[in-house]
Amino acid sequence: MALLVLLAAPSLVVAGASLTAGEIVRFPPDGLSLRWYSRILDASELRDALLRSLEVAFVCTALAVPSGTLAAIALARFRFRAALAIQLYLLLPFTVPLIGSGIGLMLLFGELGLLGRVWPVGVACCVINLPFMIWAVAASVNALDPELERAAASCGAGPVQTFVLVTLPAVAPGIVAGALIMFVLALNEFLVSLLLVDARTVTLPVQMYTQIRGVITPDLAAVSTVYVLVAAAAVLVLDRLVGLDLFLRAR
Amino acid sequence: MASTVVAARGRAGETSAPAVEAQGLARRYGTVWAVHDASFRLERGQFLTILGPSGSGKSTLLKLIAGFERPDRGQLRLFGANMDGVPAHRRPIGMVFQRLALFPHMTAAGNIAFPLEMRRFDPREIPARVARFLKLVRLEGLGDRRPHELSGGQQQRVAIARALVFEPELLLLDEPLASLDVRLKEEMQLEFRRIQRELGVTTINVTHDQREALVLSDRVIVMARGRILQEGDPETVWRNPAHPFVARFLGVGTMLRGQAEPGPAIRIGDRLLPGRAPNPLTAPRPGQPAVAALRAERVRIGTTGALTENGTRLAARVADVVFEGERVLYELVVPELGEAQLRAVDLDPGSHARHRPGAEITVSWSPDDLLLFDASLDPGSDS
Repeated sequence: MALLVLLAAPSLVVAGASLTAGEIVRFPPDGLSLRWYSRILDASELRDALLRSLEVAFVCTALAVPSGTLAAIALARFRFRAALAIQLYLLLPFTVPLIGSGIGLMLLFGELGLLGRVWPVGVACCVINLPFMIWAVAASVNALDPELERAAASCGAGPVQTFVLVTLPAVAPGIVAGALIMFVLALNEFLVSLLLVDARTVTLPVQMYTQIRGVITPDLAAVSTVYVLVAAAAVLVLDRLVGLDLFLRAR
Repeated sequence: MASTVVAARGRAGETSAPAVEAQGLARRYGTVWAVHDASFRLERGQFLTILGPSGSGKSTLLKLIAGFERPDRGQLRLFGANMDGVPAHRRPIGMVFQRLALFPHMTAAGNIAFPLEMRRFDPREIPARVARFLKLVRLEGLGDRRPHELSGGQQQRVAIARALVFEPELLLLDEPLASLDVRLKEEMQLEFRRIQRELGVTTINVTHDQREALVLSDRVIVMARGRILQEGDPETVWRNPAHPFVARFLGVGTMLRGQAEPGPAIRIGDRLLPGRAPNPLTAPRPGQPAVAALRAERVRIGTTGALTENGTRLAARVADVVFEGERVLYELVVPELGEAQLRAVDLDPGSHARHRPGAEITVSWSPDDLLLFDASLDPGSDS
């Protein structure tokens, strides 16, 4: 219970602070009001930054779903020589500091003239976080009964029909879970965005960081709370889907 | 053999060709031959059971027939058509899998309709056909349930309907009953037999359950270590096991070791027991070690009744008595055969008193019931 309180504390504090009626961020708040929520609706730089973050998240997810799904199925199904190298690659998010991969991508995108635009940030997030997608799908593929595809063949389904009509629906829970993880990670991505964007194309976390360096006003707390709620909604959906996953098991 | 090949050559679906014709089929995993030189024929409309312990190669043989594995050697013809290079989804085969492999994201009706959609049946005809097969497997009204909403027996029935709905020429059963409890298993065995007879579909069943093989089949193949040891109708295989392994696997009761003598007979200690060699290929050579199989229900208990010519009569001591309901199993020790253990059953235990452990009794059998084999073929009591 104490642990739960500890884990929830930052979110609770920021949510409380966002409800303040006063002019500065403080916990407990000075009175209660939703004025800072209405304020952020009007703050165009925050709203634009949110839209850019959503764009990043969509680009990242749209790339990650097909590539991560196919990679995971290939990895789980076929034994090939590069297997060890790919296992190492799957550990990258834990081993390489984000600042390292961020600088690498900055240099690369600089060469390609892609710095300062929004969609390359999505590509970058996809590259860095793809192992999460692969893990999510691989878990579903490994739980798949190999007889299922043989059964499809014995029903007269060719390899392509089997893949589309049997394999993909059976691993769909893993794909959706992976897509949600990728979406939330990209939405929250700070460091890589910081390195790849310029002043006109900042994403929401970068915009918030920039504002914090000036005066910390309660609208930032309000934005943070909205952010936490979005993430919480994603987790709820995820939970439903993991439950659904069990639900779909034959036995 | 050459004449059979010539006779079978011809267009697919030739009416005179047998349903299945395997010649020298072999499949190797690494250095191990999972299936070795398997040759057999199956006539149309028959029910064949491939019987063997796990690792005998029976499942691999089924996969070769289904097209999930390619043979390293040999040839397979189904209904006269050569199956070389024909992928699984182009073979006229329906299959019920060991773990059923129902599609979890489809309803029962969706599962049953799937083969019809894949095999391009007229879409207008599909619902009626699905309904007909739901009825055939007694699942009327349950078509819109998902597999996980059905009981084990109901899932079995969906799997059967899915395998049969497109009226395949050949039905394969890969131990689909192995995981069921005894009562449900017996019910489903009768169900298989009913449906198989109703549709007249040629069927190959794989199992390690010898009872199931005897109950269901027109033909039985017994496999061990990748080889076909015997093929025949269930009664012949039961009465005349051609190999000591087959005798053991069918639960013969007693295996006695001794030395082969002409006659044929087996010498155990000082006693000469006349017997019968069911197969010249596995018969023991005089002077060599021999093994004799004696089925428990062929051993007569007591002194009543005349002894068959050349029959054996021995004194035995009751070591243990096992009451099994419809019969009583006696574990006996025979001093004259070097304290050898012998099993006998009393098939009518209600009509008279039971012998107690320690009782001295007399047992006898006819030489026809003592089956003699070359002992070097016998895998030993562990299998």
